[in-house]
Amino acid sequence: MDTLNYIILVPMVYFSFAVFVAGVLYRIAAILKKPSITIPLNVYPQKKPAWLHALADTFLMPAVFKAKPVMWFFLIVFHASIFLLIIGHIELIHSFSIFQIIEHDIFLGRGFVGLTLFISLLYFLFRRFSSNARNLSVPEDYFLLILLLLTIILGSELDWARTWFGYQEMTVDGYQTYLKSMLLFKPDISDVTYSGHTFMLVFHVFFANLFILFFPFSKMMHAIFTIPLNKIRRG
Amino acid sequence: MEENLREKLLKAFEGKLTKTIAMYLETCSRCGICTTSCHVFNSMPRPEYSPAARAEVVRRLYKKYFKLQGKFWPSLGEAKPLDDTALDDLDRAAYSCTGCRRCMTFCPFGIDTQQIMSIAKLILVAAHAEPEILSMLADVSISKGESIDLIKQGFIDGLERLEGEVVEKWKIDAEKIPIPTEVQEADILYVALAGAHSIIPSAAIFNAACENWTLSFFEAVNFGAFVGDPGKTRLIMDRIINEANRLNVKEVCICECGTAFRVLKQMSGKQSFKISSITEVHARYIREKRIKLEKNRFKGIITYHDPCQIARNAGIMDEPRYIIKHLTDNFTDLSKKPEENWCCGGGGGLVAMGQDSHDFRMKSSKVKADQVKATHASILVTACENCHSQLSDLNKYYKMGVEVKFLSSMVADSLI
Amino acid sequence: MSNEIKADKTLDLKGLPCPMPVVKISKGIKEVEVGQVVEAVTTDPGSLTDFPAWARTNGHEIIDTVQGDKEITFYIKRIV
Ligand code: HEM
Ligand code: SF4
Ligand code: SF4
Repeated sequence: MDTLNYIILVPMVYFSFAVFVAGVLYRIAAILKKPSITIPLNVYPQKKPAWLHALADTFLMPAVFKAKPVMWFFLIVFHASIFLLIIGHIELIHSFSIFQIIEHDIFLGRGFVGLTLFISLLYFLFRRFSSNARNLSVPEDYFLLILLLLTIILGSELDWARTWFGYQEMTVDGYQTYLKSMLLFKPDISDVTYSGHTFMLVFHVFFANLFILFFPFSKMMHAIFTIPLNKIRRG
Repeated sequence: MEENLREKLLKAFEGKLTKTIAMYLETCSRCGICTTSCHVFNSMPRPEYSPAARAEVVRRLYKKYFKLQGKFWPSLGEAKPLDDTALDDLDRAAYSCTGCRRCMTFCPFGIDTQQIMSIAKLILVAAHAEPEILSMLADVSISKGESIDLIKQGFIDGLERLEGEVVEKWKIDAEKIPIPTEVQEADILYVALAGAHSIIPSAAIFNAACENWTLSFFEAVNFGAFVGDPGKTRLIMDRIINEANRLNVKEVCICECGTAFRVLKQMSGKQSFKISSITEVHARYIREKRIKLEKNRFKGIITYHDPCQIARNAGIMDEPRYIIKHLTDNFTDLSKKPEENWCCGGGGGLVAMGQDSHDFRMKSSKVKADQVKATHASILVTACENCHSQLSDLNKYYKMGVEVKFLSSMVADSLI
Repeated sequence: MSNEIKADKTLDLKGLPCPMPVVKISKGIKEVEVGQVVEAVTTDPGSLTDFPAWARTNGHEIIDTVQGDKEITFYIKRIV
C-alpha cells in the first residue's frame, strides 16, 4: 500500500507534469513549425480593435450565448471555476497575499467551486447523451469528462470531509508541506499519508495525473489554441 | 486502396497542414454549437450534416496519420484509415457543404469548416474522385487562358452583336464604343461572365458613369476553387492578373460572382491594381453622383440576399444596401444581421453541378426558402450569379412567388 | 455552309446562367454517337471563347460557328 501511495504521489506526479509541460510545448512548437496560410480567414463585419474582440469572443463566448444560453451559462461557470481551482491549488503550495484580496480560508468559494464544477460536468456529460451531441461525440469526450468528474468528486470530498467529520488530519499545512517538498524535489509525503483519508487523496491525484498526462494529446489543447483561432476569425 | 495511392493522398493532406488548419483540426471540442447554424442540417436534420460531423471525417484521418493519440489509441478519437470508404465519406461531406462559413461565426473557437472541407476536396482531386463536371470546367478555363489569341476575334465579333442593345436601350454617345476591349491604361478592367446578362447592364452603367473601362476576355468565375485544386485555382486567377498587368489598368472590377471576387481579392496577393466588386463600384458611382437612379421604378417589397462569399467572407454588406436605398423605399432585410443570412444553398460548386445536385440543393435549402417567404417580398435581389441561379431554382421549387433579380440589372434599369 | 450541316441533336442554351451552357453541351455530346453532330444555340458572347476551349480540352471538333443577329449557333462533332 505504501509503495503504491508513494508511486502515485511522487514519481507519477513528476512524470505527468513533465509529459504535460513537454507535450504542450511540443505541440505548440509543431504548429509553429508549419507554414503559414496566405489567405485571410477572418469573417466580416470587422470590428476594431480586432484583438479586443477576439479576447471577448474567447472569454465571453457571445456566439454561444446567442445560440445556446443554457450551455453558455454552464460553460462560463465551469471555466471560471477551473480558474479558481487553479488558484486554489497554487495556494496549496504556498499562501499568497495577492489571492487574499478577497479574504478566504482555503479555496475561494469554500467548496462551492467543486460543487459548480461537479454540476457543470454533469450537465456536459448528460448533454452528450442528447441526440445531436451524441452523434458527434467520440469516446475521448466521455473519457475526459469522466476523468474530471472523478477527480473533482474526490477533490471536493477532501475538503468537505474535514467539515463533515470535524477531524484535524490532512490539513492545508499538510498539503503545503507535501507540495512544497515536491517543488523542491525533496519529496516528503509523511504529512499526507498517515491518515485514514489518504486513499482519497491518492485517488484524486491519480485521476488528476491521468488528466494532465492526456491533456497535450487531446482536444484539451483548445485551452491554448482558442486565442489565436479567435484572433484569426476577427482578422 | 493501393499503398502508393494512399501515400500520394496523404502527401496532399500534409501539404494543406498550415498553422491555422492544424489548429482547426486540433481544437474542436465537439460541443455541437455549430450544428444548427448550418442550413443543410436545419433543412435536413441528419447527423452527418452537422459542420462538426463533416469536419470529423477529415479529422479522423488527421488523428490516424498525423497525431500521436491516433497512433497509440485510435479508438479513443475514432481515428480511421484512409481507404475507399473514407473517400466516399469525404465526398459526401465536402459536396454537401457550400463553404458558406456561417457555422464558423457560431463556433466558440472560430473553426472554419470550409477550410477543412478544402482538405477533403484536395484528397478527392488527388484520387481523381472529384466531380467530373467541376474539373472539366476548370480545365476549359485554363485552356482559354492558354489560347486566348486564337479565340479573341470571335469574342470581339460576338460583343458587337450586344452593342446594339446597349446603345438602343440606354442611348449612349454614338462616339463611344459601347463595349470596349483591349484598352491600354484603362481605369477599370471589368471581368464578367459568359452570359450577356452579366455584360450588357454593366456596360450601360460604366458608360453612364463615363468610365474609362475595358472588358476582359475571360470569365471571372474560378472553377479551380470549386474543385479545391490550388494549382488550377492559381492558373485561372493568373489569366486575369496577367491581362490586368498587360493593359496596366488601375482597378479590376469583378462582376456579380461571389467566388470570383473572394478568390481574386483574397488570394491574389499584392498587386499594382485595386480589386473591387461591381457592387462597390456602383455604390461609388452613386456616392460621387456619377450616375443617377430613378427611385421606385420597381414596385413592391424588395429584399436582398447577401452572397456568403461577398458579404460574410469579403465584407461587402453596406454597399448593396446603400444602392438599394436609391432604388426603393420599400426594403426589408432577410435577417437581422447580414452576416447571419442563410446561404442560398448553391455554393461550393453545387450549382455548377446542375441537374446532378438539384434534388440535394432544393432539400438542403428549405430554411432559405422559408426566410424569403417570411419577408413577403416581391423582388429578391442578389449580387452573385451562383446565388441567382440557386434562388431561381428555389423560387420554382418552393413557389416563393418572388422575382429573382441581379442588383446590377436593377441599377441599369433605373438609370436616368 | 451551315445549312448543309445536318445536326443529330439540337440544344437550346439561350440565356442560361454561368456555367450551364458548357455543362449542358458536355452532357449533350455524350448523347450522340461518335461522328454525329450537335447543334447548340446560345445567346452568350462568352460561349464564343468557352466552346472552342471546351472542344479542345475534351477532344471534340467545332465544325462551324454561325453568328446570327441575336443568337450564336455551334455545330459540334463528337470525336471521342
Ligand atoms: C480560455 C479559453 C477557453 C475557452 C474559450 C473554452 C471553451 C470551451 C468550450 C466551448 C467547451 C465546450 C463544451 C463541450 O464540449 O461540451 C469547453 C469544454 C471544456 N473545457 Fe474549455 N475553454 C477554454 C479554456 C479551458 C481551460 C484553460 C481548461 C482547463 C483545464 C478547459 C477545460 C475544459 C473542459 C474540461 C471541457 C469539457 C469538455 C467536454 O465537454 O467534453 N477549457 N471549453
Ligand atoms: S462549434 Fe466548433 S468546437 Fe463546437 S462542435 Fe462545432 S466546430 Fe467543433
Ligand atoms: S460552411 Fe456552410 S454549408 Fe458548410 S458546414 Fe458550415 S454552415 Fe454548413
